[in-house]
Amino acid sequence: MSRKPVKGEYIETDTGNKVARKAVLVGTQHIMLGGKTVIQADAMIRGDLARTSQPSSTSGAAPGAAPGSNTAVAIGRYCFLSKGCCLRPPGRIYKGSFTYLPLRLGDHVFVGEGTVVQAATVGSHVHIGQNVVIGEFAIIKDYVRVLDGAVVPPNMVIPSFSIVAGQPARVVGEVPEGGHEAFELRELYKTVGNNPQPLPV
Amino acid sequence: MSSSNKRQSILPRIQSGPKAPVNFSSSITIADSAQLTGNHTINISSESVVHPRAKLDSANGRITIGRRCIVHERTNIGAVSADPTPSESRDGVVVSDYATVEVGVVIESGGTVIGEGCHVGVGSRIGKGAQLGKHCVLTPKSVIRPGEVVPDFTVVYSNGTRRLDKRGMIDLKNKAQARQIEVLRKLIPSNPAKFQS
Repeated sequence: MSRKPVKGEYIETDTGNKVARKAVLVGTQHIMLGGKTVIQADAMIRGDLARTSQPSSTSGAAPGAAPGSNTAVAIGRYCFLSKGCCLRPPGRIYKGSFTYLPLRLGDHVFVGEGTVVQAATVGSHVHIGQNVVIGEFAIIKDYVRVLDGAVVPPNMVIPSFSIVAGQPARVVGEVPEGGHEAFELRELYKTVGNNPQPLPV
Repeated sequence: MSSSNKRQSILPRIQSGPKAPVNFSSSITIADSAQLTGNHTINISSESVVHPRAKLDSANGRITIGRRCIVHERTNIGAVSADPTPSESRDGVVVSDYATVEVGVVIESGGTVIGEGCHVGVGSRIGKGAQLGKHCVLTPKSVIRPGEVVPDFTVVYSNGTRRLDKRGMIDLKNKAQARQIEVLRKLIPSNPAKFQS
């Protein structure tokens, strides 16, 4: 069907994003990728659940806001979305009407396999393990490690440098001094794609 | 790149079984990429919403979705149970009015009943023939064993601990559900015609 001889598993964009062909991106016009982000197969991003326009009187104060600013999911640089994870914006009743609010991921965020993220904000250098559920409107600050199988309750705020685990998730420890280097995802980024390179030992 | 080099759809061909006979209300919202398979009828009542990639399988019995239900993505309603004994009920799964089934929930088929106003949290699993009472809340990753009967207003949390919800917020919750459905109808492009024929 296609005249191109071999297609890679990933689509690599000019800004260095590597998006698996089998990833499910719904509502792509509302998804922002910062660059150098890896999205593996069967990852799902619900961009269609964008904020519904609010007939608010204060909106006139910001006429510079572009129409494209209605982002549902914003992802920073060097994020890694593993197989089967799901990012969806959180929704709630706000000023009498239901609305979805944007989900923001910082830089160097790792999301493990089968994890569902419905947080409001995830900071930079955050490691989220596999089969984790992040509840709606949770706020995760920088340098946080969420261990495998944790269930972060809705509206929880996780302070920086914490390690959380359990069902419901609690802070169980602290990232040790100097331990923040483990959160770098630059090397991991190179190991996937159409011509992957092995991790340096 | 020549213009003839058209980008293929990212969505894989979805055709994993026989097309199920359906019975839809005219006011439902069902996403194009939902999967409805099986031999028995799938009923969806008025104003319910089925998100993309939800999977409803009626191979083992009828599936009935009540009024104003929300079925989120990646759910598997009517999953085949590990227990092969046939159930006496002709119904596979009944999801009553105002229930919410969250992302990645698995509901096994065989006389399973989800009560009115229930909220089934992300990644939960409900066994064959289990019966959830009215207004139960399952927190994420809860497991209900096959055949279990969960009384009304039960909250299942933290690896199976239970308590009763005595807040009495049914009306508020139903109102919020209606509001959410209003918004989802605008956001999710509905294509019921794809499943009807």
